[in-house]
Amino acid sequence: MKNIGKYLVYPCILLAFSACTDLEEKLKGDITDDINIPGISTGGGGGGSDVLNAAFSELRNSGTANHGAYYSVQEITSDEMCIAAKGGDWFDGGILIDLHKHTYKPTHDFVKNTWNGTYNGINTCNELLAKATLDDNQKAQTRALRAYFYMRLMDLYGNVKIITAPGGNAPQSKRADVYKFVENELLASLGITAVTQGMDLSNSALGTANNPYRINRYAAMGLLAKLYLNSEVYTGTAAYDKAAIAAGYVIDSGVYQLCGKGCKVTNLGRRPAVSSDPAELEGFAAVFAPNNANNPEHVFTVLYDEVSAGGMNFSQMNLHYSSQFTWNFQDQPWNGYATLEEFYNSFEDKDERKKASFIAGPQLDFGGSAVLDYASDDGNLVLDYTPKINEIAPNSLRQAGARPGKFSFKQFGRPDMDNDYPIVRLGELYLIRGEALARAAGNWNASLPDVNVVRARAGVAAFTAVTADQFLAERGREMFQEGVRRTDLIRFGKYNAAWWEKPVSPAYVNIFPIPQEQINASGGTLVQNPGY
Amino acid sequence: MKSCLTKWSFSLFLVFGFFLTASAQKMVSGKITDASNGEALIGANVLVKGSDSGTITDIDGTYSLKASQGDVLVFSYAGYTDQEIVVGSSTTVNVALEAGKLLDEVVVVGYGTQREKEITSAVVSVSRENFNQGPISDPAQLLQGKVSGLQIYNRGGDPNRASVIRMRGISTVGANVEPLVVVDGIIGASLQNVDPNDIESIDVLKDGSAAAIYGSRGSSGVIIVTTKRGSKGGVKLSYSGQFGASSAMRGINIMTADEFVAAGGTNLGSKTDWINEVTQTGLNQVHSISADGGSGSTSYRISANLRQVDGILKNSGFDQLNTRLNLTTKALNDKLTIDFNTSFTERDQEFGFNEALRYAIMYNPTAPVYGDQSPFPFNSAQFGGYFESLGLFDSFNPVSIINQNKNTGKRREFNYGANLGYKVTDNLTANFRVAQQSNSFSTRAYYPTTSHFRGNATSPIRKGRADLYSGDSAFKLYEAYATHLSDFGNSTLTLTGGYSFQQNNFQSNYLSLGDFPNNDIDFINNIEASQDLLKAGLISANSDQSPDEKIIAFFGRANFTYDDAIFVNASLRREGSTKLGEDNKWGLFPSLGVGVDLNKYAKLSNVDLLKIRAGYGVTGALPGQNGLSKPIRGIVNGADGSVTTQLIRAANPNLKWEEKAEINVGLEFASGRFSGTLDVYTRNIKDFILERTVDVAEFGVDRRYENAGKLSTKGLELALNYDVAQGDEFSYTTGVVFSTYKTTLDEYVIPAEMRASLGAPGQNGTNMILVKEGAEIGQIWGPVYSSVDDKGSPVFVDVNGDGKLVTGQDKALEPDVDFEVLGKGIPDFELGWTNRVNVSGWSINAFFRGAFGHSLVNSFRAFYEPQISTQSSYNFMNTSLKVDGLSTARFSSLYVEKADFFKLDNLSISRQISLGDFKAINNLNVSLTGQNLFVLSKYTGSDPEPSLVDYGSADNGANESGSADVLSPGIDRRNNYFSARTVTLGLNFNF
Repeated sequence: MKNIGKYLVYPCILLAFSACTDLEEKLKGDITDDINIPGISTGGGGGGSDVLNAAFSELRNSGTANHGAYYSVQEITSDEMCIAAKGGDWFDGGILIDLHKHTYKPTHDFVKNTWNGTYNGINTCNELLAKATLDDNQKAQTRALRAYFYMRLMDLYGNVKIITAPGGNAPQSKRADVYKFVENELLASLGITAVTQGMDLSNSALGTANNPYRINRYAAMGLLAKLYLNSEVYTGTAAYDKAAIAAGYVIDSGVYQLCGKGCKVTNLGRRPAVSSDPAELEGFAAVFAPNNANNPEHVFTVLYDEVSAGGMNFSQMNLHYSSQFTWNFQDQPWNGYATLEEFYNSFEDKDERKKASFIAGPQLDFGGSAVLDYASDDGNLVLDYTPKINEIAPNSLRQAGARPGKFSFKQFGRPDMDNDYPIVRLGELYLIRGEALARAAGNWNASLPDVNVVRARAGVAAFTAVTADQFLAERGREMFQEGVRRTDLIRFGKYNAAWWEKPVSPAYVNIFPIPQEQINASGGTLVQNPGY
Repeated sequence: MKSCLTKWSFSLFLVFGFFLTASAQKMVSGKITDASNGEALIGANVLVKGSDSGTITDIDGTYSLKASQGDVLVFSYAGYTDQEIVVGSSTTVNVALEAGKLLDEVVVVGYGTQREKEITSAVVSVSRENFNQGPISDPAQLLQGKVSGLQIYNRGGDPNRASVIRMRGISTVGANVEPLVVVDGIIGASLQNVDPNDIESIDVLKDGSAAAIYGSRGSSGVIIVTTKRGSKGGVKLSYSGQFGASSAMRGINIMTADEFVAAGGTNLGSKTDWINEVTQTGLNQVHSISADGGSGSTSYRISANLRQVDGILKNSGFDQLNTRLNLTTKALNDKLTIDFNTSFTERDQEFGFNEALRYAIMYNPTAPVYGDQSPFPFNSAQFGGYFESLGLFDSFNPVSIINQNKNTGKRREFNYGANLGYKVTDNLTANFRVAQQSNSFSTRAYYPTTSHFRGNATSPIRKGRADLYSGDSAFKLYEAYATHLSDFGNSTLTLTGGYSFQQNNFQSNYLSLGDFPNNDIDFINNIEASQDLLKAGLISANSDQSPDEKIIAFFGRANFTYDDAIFVNASLRREGSTKLGEDNKWGLFPSLGVGVDLNKYAKLSNVDLLKIRAGYGVTGALPGQNGLSKPIRGIVNGADGSVTTQLIRAANPNLKWEEKAEINVGLEFASGRFSGTLDVYTRNIKDFILERTVDVAEFGVDRRYENAGKLSTKGLELALNYDVAQGDEFSYTTGVVFSTYKTTLDEYVIPAEMRASLGAPGQNGTNMILVKEGAEIGQIWGPVYSSVDDKGSPVFVDVNGDGKLVTGQDKALEPDVDFEVLGKGIPDFELGWTNRVNVSGWSINAFFRGAFGHSLVNSFRAFYEPQISTQSSYNFMNTSLKVDGLSTARFSSLYVEKADFFKLDNLSISRQISLGDFKAINNLNVSLTGQNLFVLSKYTGSDPEPSLVDYGSADNGANESGSADVLSPGIDRRNNYFSARTVTLGLNFNF
């Protein structure tokens, strides 16, 4: 009996439960591929059906206009902005000074964030192309957007992998080959094989209607113009003629107009108690205002919105803590980015762009009283942004430096701003055409017709003659805070020069290091750029 | 699940049906007790002489077996003298055994008990009388310092934060690092639902060969809690009460108002001692009442425990009520034993705001508490009457924080467990266990419109904030196992086999919104008044529900004993989990242990015990999160109402068990008054589950979960006891536990990385901890301070002497960097020293504890000791280590301090009071206990205890993130609670 018991019990127990071995994991709180086809719009409660939304939102995710990625590496490395260490504040292990002084290394966080964010964008485009049902126009837009992400990667890192399908891998391509890929993709989206005078875009799947949040023919052509302008840097071979043709195509289309006199929006930053605050922002200032949507100058912009498209955080990053009381911000700012004195002084006082681009001088609060800084380090409690920055480190004064304010702030603003951020706008296209014509002709005065268009809009006298340095300065005044200065300085051979506290830097820093983490993760398929 | 339950009941029915028909014979039963004190002997042997029929006593000391009249029963128990009794006509045979020379205790191991001498692994049993004393709310604290190799730290005295527990150091990098808790046989039970006053003993399974029977969750060790049970006899009532007071014990040296002004601080005209303003003497009381008794085959114990604890931070503490019922009964001729335990805990928590302690340290000491004493025009009504220094980063009036805001929580835990043990034959027992546990929690934080701290009082439009977070979880356990004992004369073989099914589910909801009308009521109870409801994008809301998290296991074990001197234990567990990748859900966890009682053969004189044992075991570890093997996507909502998704984490269908293999060799020795245990071990852990950087070009995102890395730990643990004196009037026993270990990261996802950013202001990119392949865990890495230059900046040492100073944080991993190891986060060794003295009716228990060789980054000093002109509105630290003239805050060796300490952790004096003829109360015992009475340490911060995990920096009123980084020990953050000294009066009696 005993033995029977022994031999029956174990199998009995084991048998009874052997069926209970189902270990499939059915997730309830997460979205996986099982329950959602990637990238496909489901319509949602609002009834929208914008399949491309995920892909275009990657422009925000990759740091186009926020601290810590693309915007930061394009701006702080240049002569127009820095983040100085204010005592202990904003030293952050020296990584911000490393950017400004060009001593960045492969472990730099911002360099890593930019790489990863850009490839995230490429992946979302690849998923759309591979798995979603897209019409020809959507396919062409997605390919053009992907090409733009590759253009950024090529500009920043040189040799990168070109991946065109989700989950795929590829060897690292040479910078010139990435250039070729970007060019071909953009040309394909335009339905042409080359940019020529009188080219026929009728085969393009891209549209012509003006929608700056998406890519139409003018946006794609504008991207090509930017690409060709830098061709010599990227490939060693110039393509200025093509740059001029591409820029001219958009300018001459007549679809877009420079925002000048009469082009205005309500001034959302106005303090009723401060009489000097205008009721409206007109001309240049309107192009970048919080309510700048549908500005006639916008060809291709990144949508930012405090509710549905967050990420732009200039008010938080640029302004002093106490500036909260000027704009009644929901949150206190952090006192980071400031403009270099020399750059600020490159503006004539009557240049409309000066007032539109900077927050400088003594500050008044919403009620018109002086804004006070009780922790002031210069003995004066009144908050007064001085153009002079006493030093980059360690003890930059808290209120030193005019603050970038071109993407202007609105009253009662949230930490996420509303201003749309241009990738292609008409003002820049004039400068691209002018520069391309001048470089092609070997004579900077060939740029005068175009450069004087933007000067006229800014309310400053026309140039009668112009040098390369003057042209670069003009470009700086027009394009300040638009994430192009590093690329411009490299093209003009000024990136390695010394300025302010920044010493001469070696040529290899013109291409960023590939993030060390990615080199480690790539299993030997990524090779570091020279010099690092 | 339904199908499993059906199978379960069917099986139960089947097995019992079989047993009922199989057993219709006369039974002899009884209880075996210790003759000296009447206490039950658990696991004593009963044998029918001349046969292979026998049994052992259960947890109540009772046994039953079949025998015929005239049979001779042999009762034996290690350390006691054997007794033989002839079975007469009675079916009850109770035996009282006389103690022999050496007591042999029973140890609870997985799915059963074993005699201590049969154990072949590193297992430590701590019984009630050896627990730490005082008003201890967290059961883990009972063991602090008592078990070598078990690290228990609760930095500071925050009554609402659970201790960090580590067995033999870090056992995993990515997964669950806390030991598995088993309460009365229920795996994975919550320690939160056990009141320390209800605990009888705690067994700690330290090594892999002991824990392997628990498989996947045994890698971080196993803590087995046995609660008190009823004893037969009339109802016995007892009461235990404690009344204590806590105060902050180690001050932090900051400047007084006068010193601050003299040092150039911004003078706001007042003199405020902010630390004094936010701290208090925390009073606490504990009342426990229990009733136990039993008659016939039933015994029970019911208890109720009430705890009220106030923290040393004003407005922090909790009230807790816990009740427990343990019931044991027998049926079917005593063949069936039913154990039923249930317990319920409700805790009302007032978390308070640890941030108030941080801001009390750094707030301007010349600032007034209230706005009406402001040196300049100040609208104090906007801030509820309090002063605020506006326009400063990370600066909030600490008194306003604690007085205006509320941060409360409620937690309920309920569980029950039923164990059915059926004695199929004298040699075969079958056990079935069903247990369920559910808990719910809710936290509510409310910041009124006048609070600068998180209430956004400076905002003209959106003031006030309410955060609501709640959730619940449910755990189910079904287990069946059988144990068979074979006796072959001079050898025995015990076989155990079974099945285990565990399922866990949780769900949670979170809501945060603001913009409330005014402060007339607490609008957290009226969130419909929030104007955020009228505006898009301001409300933060999320919810989560877990999948059915299942663990299924089959296990078996064999215990073989030869000649009562050679012991072999082997076990095997095959276990599967839902959390792993499609292709790797199942793992196999074996163990083998051998022990030899050498003195049985060597027969050394003066030696009572000389046993050597060795064990090997493999255990696993599971990640805490779900869905790690799956591709996870995030929603992108478009302004036009479109919904698209983006990949946020890549899939890994190969994700598999993290595995730990451990070898432990132990030596147990006893001679006269001296006894000791020595364990040495080596453990290798591989395939951690952690988020790893992958090629973003290929995977589309740069992170996914992978198995990667190897970690090895070598350690030594020693426990020594000596009975210095053993008289009736005076006795003194002393004991030391010592442990040391070294953990090396042999392989990692990348060759090296820096972790743990110091934080804002200005030291965000300053990562302090080096994690490097081939190096020890927990190295603090940074530049070496040498002097201060004329600009007030620190000058660093050219460590490698190459004439070039490379100290940028982003060059921390460069070969030419001038950094060095500034300290270690993990101690070299830890020590616990117990002393128990009984003299003329007084009992004195003094327990000292220390940890040596570790360092801490003193974050307060790193930020606020340099006298920075731009920070002259924060107070300055003023420790003995301050460097005059330094006016730039940069992390360096200057802020890494040795934190060796030795403390009188626990001193308890108690006396039995005789009440003479007053019989209503008996066994009256009065005690006085002090915790943390003195600390010897050079550390200038509040608490020198090691910081084993890092929660990161939370600045400018941001909420601390919940995730703990185990790779970054050694950082004393600014949000830590202050440690407390507590004195408690205790009262125990029966009535």
